[in-house]
Amino acid sequence: MERLRRFFLKLYLLFANAKVEAELAREIGAHLALLEDEYVRQGMTPEEARRAAKLAYGGVEQAKQRHRDERTFQGLSQIPQDIRYTFRQLRKSPGFTVTAVLMLALGIGTTTAIFSIVEGVLLRPLPFPDPDRLVTLGDVLEGSHCASCAHSSVTAPDIRNYMRDTQSFSHLGGYRGRLFELSGPGDPAAVNGTRMSGEVFAALGVQPLLGRTFTQQEDEEGQQVAVLSYGMWQSRFHGDANMLGGKILLYRKPYTVIGVMPRDFEFPLNPGHVNQGEFWLPLSLQPEEFTAGSVASWNSHMVGRLKPGITAGQAQSDAERVAQDTMRDYPAYMRSLRIHAVVTPLHEDTVRQARPLLRTLLLAVIVVLLIACANLAGVLLVRAIRRRREIAVRLALGARAATLLRQAIVESMVLSIAGGAIGLALAAVALRVGVSLLPQTLPRVHEIGLNWPVMLFALGLALLTGLLCGLAPAFAAIRTNVNESLKEGGRTGTSGSGHARLRSALVVAEIAVALTLLTASGLLLRSFEKMRDVELGFRPDNTLAALYVLPQQRYRTQSAIDEFIRTLLTDVGQLSGVDAVGITSFLPAAGNNWGIAFTIEGYVSSKGAGLNMASMSLVESDPFEALGIRVLRGRVFTESDNANSQLVAIVNRKMAEQYWPGQDPIGKRLRRGMRETSTPWMTVVGEVDDVKLGSRDAETMPQVYQPVTQTVASESVLASVGELSGADGWIVLHSRMDPEQMEDTLRATVRQIDPQLPLYQMQTMEHAVSKSEAPRRFNTVLISSFAIAAVLLSVLGIYAVIAFSVALREQEMAVRMALGFQRSGVILLILSSGAKLAAVGCGLGLLGALAASRLLRSFLFEVSPFDPGVLALSAIAMLLLALAASALPARRASGTDPMLALRGE
Amino acid sequence: MSNKEKESIQLLQGTLDLIVLRTLATMGPQHAYQIATRLQQISDRLLNLNQGTLYPALVRLEQYGWIKGNWGRTESNREAKYYEITKAGQKALGKETQTWRRMSALVERLLLEES
Repeated sequence: MERLRRFFLKLYLLFANAKVEAELAREIGAHLALLEDEYVRQGMTPEEARRAAKLAYGGVEQAKQRHRDERTFQGLSQIPQDIRYTFRQLRKSPGFTVTAVLMLALGIGTTTAIFSIVEGVLLRPLPFPDPDRLVTLGDVLEGSHCASCAHSSVTAPDIRNYMRDTQSFSHLGGYRGRLFELSGPGDPAAVNGTRMSGEVFAALGVQPLLGRTFTQQEDEEGQQVAVLSYGMWQSRFHGDANMLGGKILLYRKPYTVIGVMPRDFEFPLNPGHVNQGEFWLPLSLQPEEFTAGSVASWNSHMVGRLKPGITAGQAQSDAERVAQDTMRDYPAYMRSLRIHAVVTPLHEDTVRQARPLLRTLLLAVIVVLLIACANLAGVLLVRAIRRRREIAVRLALGARAATLLRQAIVESMVLSIAGGAIGLALAAVALRVGVSLLPQTLPRVHEIGLNWPVMLFALGLALLTGLLCGLAPAFAAIRTNVNESLKEGGRTGTSGSGHARLRSALVVAEIAVALTLLTASGLLLRSFEKMRDVELGFRPDNTLAALYVLPQQRYRTQSAIDEFIRTLLTDVGQLSGVDAVGITSFLPAAGNNWGIAFTIEGYVSSKGAGLNMASMSLVESDPFEALGIRVLRGRVFTESDNANSQLVAIVNRKMAEQYWPGQDPIGKRLRRGMRETSTPWMTVVGEVDDVKLGSRDAETMPQVYQPVTQTVASESVLASVGELSGADGWIVLHSRMDPEQMEDTLRATVRQIDPQLPLYQMQTMEHAVSKSEAPRRFNTVLISSFAIAAVLLSVLGIYAVIAFSVALREQEMAVRMALGFQRSGVILLILSSGAKLAAVGCGLGLLGALAASRLLRSFLFEVSPFDPGVLALSAIAMLLLALAASALPARRASGTDPMLALRGE
Repeated sequence: MSNKEKESIQLLQGTLDLIVLRTLATMGPQHAYQIATRLQQISDRLLNLNQGTLYPALVRLEQYGWIKGNWGRTESNREAKYYEITKAGQKALGKETQTWRRMSALVERLLLEES
């Protein structure tokens, strides 16, 4: 107890020093006065009495010092003084100070910026109460090889069955996101909305900001209610609290607004900025969603909250039991499908895809920081060596090693904290600008920002940096041999070999890590180049695309839809400048495709190969010509391929090679579904080039094209009652003019047909391609800029070390030259010392690159992580840069005046 | 080492605290000079201490909360800081005294057995 009290008092007295000092002086004065009185009383003269008093008291200064030692933490109390001393020292060398602080600011700033992204996306718990209990539940479909299915999905009957029959969840519900046409009030627009079970709100446990959320009962009753996001409430209703009870039109059906969610509520946690959900509707599964093809459509997701005491593993076996029951009830046409239930923590499900990228970025940026650290340690070391005489004198005069150590660390701390503060400001600016540039593959981007954990991270980083950078020079300083240093006098030969080793080690390490990063960046650049070489399979120039979705409210019959499509194609085709137009359900490069299962006539899949999956594009008119997709064999669809004629299909090259290798695919037959699904055969009439439906570096899927008009007939048992086809699709047109000029014309044309129908995601195909390349471009640009920073810093480091060693060896060089050593010899000497460091660094760096290859592999595209060209080129570049950095000091050394040797200093 | 130091007793760690507490407990509030004088008296000048040596002990005890210093006036009307033992100090004195007794008894016994 009293020890604690004393501890705090000692701490407090660090700051109340002046007061206590005054009090102590007063007490000692009083004490001496009393002693003097006593001696005078004993008969001394005042003079003698004063002397005697001081003698009896002992050294006043010693007593004060002992008092200080006792009352407070002595070392710490010196720190303010050390800081003042440091500031004085730093002011004397502004060049050094500015360089050091800026170097650190850059290092700490970038690291903090990247860390804040990592923190916001990966580390921060999900914005729901008790987030560890939230899980996703989904099916794994055996044999679907669904590598692109990042999030486990379920079918509509699954949602019903899992909700009804599992016991492990306190709340469990399904949801499905989609694009909605929103009208009234305001212009019609396409917005992302989520249909979800009432239970999902209960599972997430988030209260609405205004009004209420809907219940499971309302969901099952099919109530037309909507809960708005904060963003939509602000933009559409200007934050008006009285709009509750008002209506919005979704696909021209009225929904009553019953609540508004808080600003930070986001669900589902979609990656990117653009796909954020703007409102939530009851899932209200329709009867047709439990029949036909819907039973085999894994297009929904489930989220739930585990009951207390239930683990994810227990929940999974519980759900697996339900999945087995579900499979038993499968209709005949999908009897061979096998599913397994999978329960994944929601957090894991959300961040899985973003993790490798963020880890790599964090590592890269830490490498840059380490190099900055090594550089700072290097220059501090140089300072320590420059000040060797000063330190030796101080040591000789009785300065304690601990004091010197403390001062050295305080100096680097002051630098690093200043660097950290500036770095934090830089990070704040970078984040403000940078968040909008982040790739669309990152989830939870809205939560990225500077907050307490990030600030603490930056501060901790600054302190750690200061400590690490300060320690080496500090120990170098106290190891100063007083006698040697003072004896050496002004003449500094090639001295301080121990320190030289340390400096060289720092530079070698810098070069090694810089080279590692450089090769990484080289490999990514090479991958990018390779990706750009990949054939798209279509011609993106002068092509415009836009999505339409016909609201069921108005287009109730197939003939209404057909009428719309016919009018649209005719009107657009007649526009001046348009030379081809078509409709397709999947837009190339847009990445919004998925696969369905096919049965191929005469093809027996090898055991365990699973389902024959291919993407199915429904087309109308001639999108092949509009998109410039080459027809390799056979023909494209014509007007006569309609609902009443023979079912036809066009396959891509990959599909043809996979199922009919070495044969002409024309005339071959395939049908939708599995072997047991009774669907009619479609005859292949053409083969077209492989088209990249996603990004260029993604694998091409087998692709099948079919006329929209034949969809329902080919689906047969999979088609639901009254199914309409062609209610949505991408209009693609190729024009002789700049496609951007066509945008307004296209809009006007559609408005003439249906004034209320909005067109969504209108874009040129060049734009779509560029967007699909954005994630890779982002990785490449970021890693490359880190690599450039790393290389620059390490070149600076090698320059500093060589320049300093040249400065130290000036005397030696002068002597050598006085003895007849050639200038070129001097240059060679210096260059070779630089080259030696660089060579060792590059050797280690190549090893580092090999070690980093495992991490990097997932980001590379058709480039081996051991690509000899890239490795060699990076190493050579690094060596040349290192040589160039030592060339400058070498030239200076060769200009040494031999007279120096004679004159001395 | 000088001759004088050989003869005088080296103060054991912690004993100074005990002596100061004891002094203040028996004699009431005292200033540093009085405490030092008292120390010299009872030690029969065997303890040859500089009076300044007392100060670290005083600040330590004050920080523990065992004594409390207040400015006052001497009989000769000089100002001086008077130290007074606190309640916590009384308690600590009791405990320290006991510890000391046990310790010295132990050492005594040890020395007896050795000889």
